[in-house]
Amino acid sequence: MTESAIHTHGLTKRFGDFVAVENLDFEVQEGTVVSLLGPNGAGKTTTVRMLATLLHPDGGTAAVGGHDVVGDAARVRELISLTGQFAALDKNLTARENLILMGRLRDRGAAEARRIADELIDRFDIGTFRDRLVKNLSGGERRRVDLAAGLIDRPYVLVLDEPTAGLDPRSRQVVWSTIRELVADGVTLLLTTQYLEEADALADRVVLIDRGRSVASGTPTQLKTQVGQQRVDVIAADTEGFEALSELLWERFELTRLPEQRTISIPAPGEAVDLARVADVVSDSGIGVDEIALRRPTLDDAFLALTGHAAATPEPERQEAAA
Amino acid sequence: MSAVAATSRQPVRTRHHAGPLEFVRDTGLLTGRSLRAIPRVPERLLDVTIQPIVFILLFLYVFGSAIHVHGVNYKDYLFPGIIGQSLAFGIIGAGVATSNDMTEGVIDRFRSMPISRLSIISGQVMGQFCEQVLGMVIVVAFGLALGWNPQLTLGHGFELLGLVILGMLAFTWAGVLAGMLVRSPDAMQGVGFIVIFPLSFLAGTFVPIAGMALIPRTIAQWDPISALVASVRELTTPGWTSSGSWPLDHPELAMAFWCLLLLAICVPVALRRFNRTLAA
Repeated sequence: MTESAIHTHGLTKRFGDFVAVENLDFEVQEGTVVSLLGPNGAGKTTTVRMLATLLHPDGGTAAVGGHDVVGDAARVRELISLTGQFAALDKNLTARENLILMGRLRDRGAAEARRIADELIDRFDIGTFRDRLVKNLSGGERRRVDLAAGLIDRPYVLVLDEPTAGLDPRSRQVVWSTIRELVADGVTLLLTTQYLEEADALADRVVLIDRGRSVASGTPTQLKTQVGQQRVDVIAADTEGFEALSELLWERFELTRLPEQRTISIPAPGEAVDLARVADVVSDSGIGVDEIALRRPTLDDAFLALTGHAAATPEPERQEAAA
Repeated sequence: MSAVAATSRQPVRTRHHAGPLEFVRDTGLLTGRSLRAIPRVPERLLDVTIQPIVFILLFLYVFGSAIHVHGVNYKDYLFPGIIGQSLAFGIIGAGVATSNDMTEGVIDRFRSMPISRLSIISGQVMGQFCEQVLGMVIVVAFGLALGWNPQLTLGHGFELLGLVILGMLAFTWAGVLAGMLVRSPDAMQGVGFIVIFPLSFLAGTFVPIAGMALIPRTIAQWDPISALVASVRELTTPGWTSSGSWPLDHPELAMAFWCLLLLAICVPVALRRFNRTLAA
């Protein structure tokens, strides 16, 4: 029997009149990675705060390892480790002191807490800034210490709330590779994110949430199929070029025209192969273009596709480059 | 780490219920965390040292020359007032520091860990309490250096010490609660300035209450800070008695009453508030 590490049923949280989380059902199986994907204000943080016993649900139930977050909060706190959106560290302690303190608060003796801290410092490559006060660390450095602090005990469930929000691309890569190592280790992970790309890269299953409700769930592949394919966008250098290219590409491809942006959008299920085919036609024509690029569906596209507007506008009209 | 490997990955229960031993241990660790911030953010001590020192200098050498209190040297009149005021300002200091701390994610980490939540808040109180003690020691030392000459019998000394410690605890708890209720450290500073600041002046701190106009005099007679100031003054100045209202006729009793009342209200409310939700 597969154990469910996290299970919610009808989970609801209100702040006054505002319903932050409404009737949310989802499950995380042991040993899997599930991502709660949604825009700012979708209720992701509220949900994980309820799971981590930081907020009381107003309705429904949530259980971690079969233990109710309200009824057996003490046990839940032993099982779950939450690394929040904002570094949960004491800014007036050094990176190493923070790790030692967290170890000691988890019942380790002074010597053992130091040993664990030093192991984590090695593992997360914190050595160069281990003795600097947390308030003087960069965002990426803090995030690493923060992740390490969540792993003093090997947690039964690790919850990462937007682990890469606000990080530069390089730090994001570092955090991602750290998360991948944890996943390879078999840790059960609940990850919230605003980035489809991040959910795609890390999660086994994705729960798409919007305004506190679950909109869709499935594997990233299933979700992307629902959302729509990748496509090639050609942005012409001027309006005349746009018209000429439209004529030319019309013959060979199914396309959508966005005249205001001088953009021609072509479905590209074959990714790079399709990109090359389009690029060949364009370069043979000699017409000037600003850009030819392969676009991945963005979170915006996902919401357009899944919140009911999908039937009316199968092709996303708004263009937002995926990071 | 898991001991029950086969059926579940869940680690064994380490603490069935956090007992008093764990509570003391966690409180100690968290108090240590607060104390370490003192040398690293020394400006936090400014509130509890520079402010009273400025008042001492101002009243001793600027306004004091125009203030004559019958039957007592103004220096001996002033220092008990400063001590009472410093005790009361502890609310603002503890409130600002707590409010600062609460906006940090680290409190959330502690709250999501398997430690007693009471220990998180008592660690905060203990840390703040130590800051207040440190501030008080500096202020008293400064007073003694300037020639304040408290006449204490051994009995009065212990009574004073007990009352001051009780007062510090009560005001630290009140400050910690206030710090959890307000939205930001700035708001705490503002509330402190609007409420505590005037009350600390309407308390026979710098000038006798008896000479005030009717309305401020009435407020001052019942102002809890008056009881603090009057207690310290009675215990350090032989022959001095305060009067004018029940609290001023029995300042030590009144002070103990106010402090216990504050604790009886603040401790449960703070715990309840902390267990529920935090503003940030």
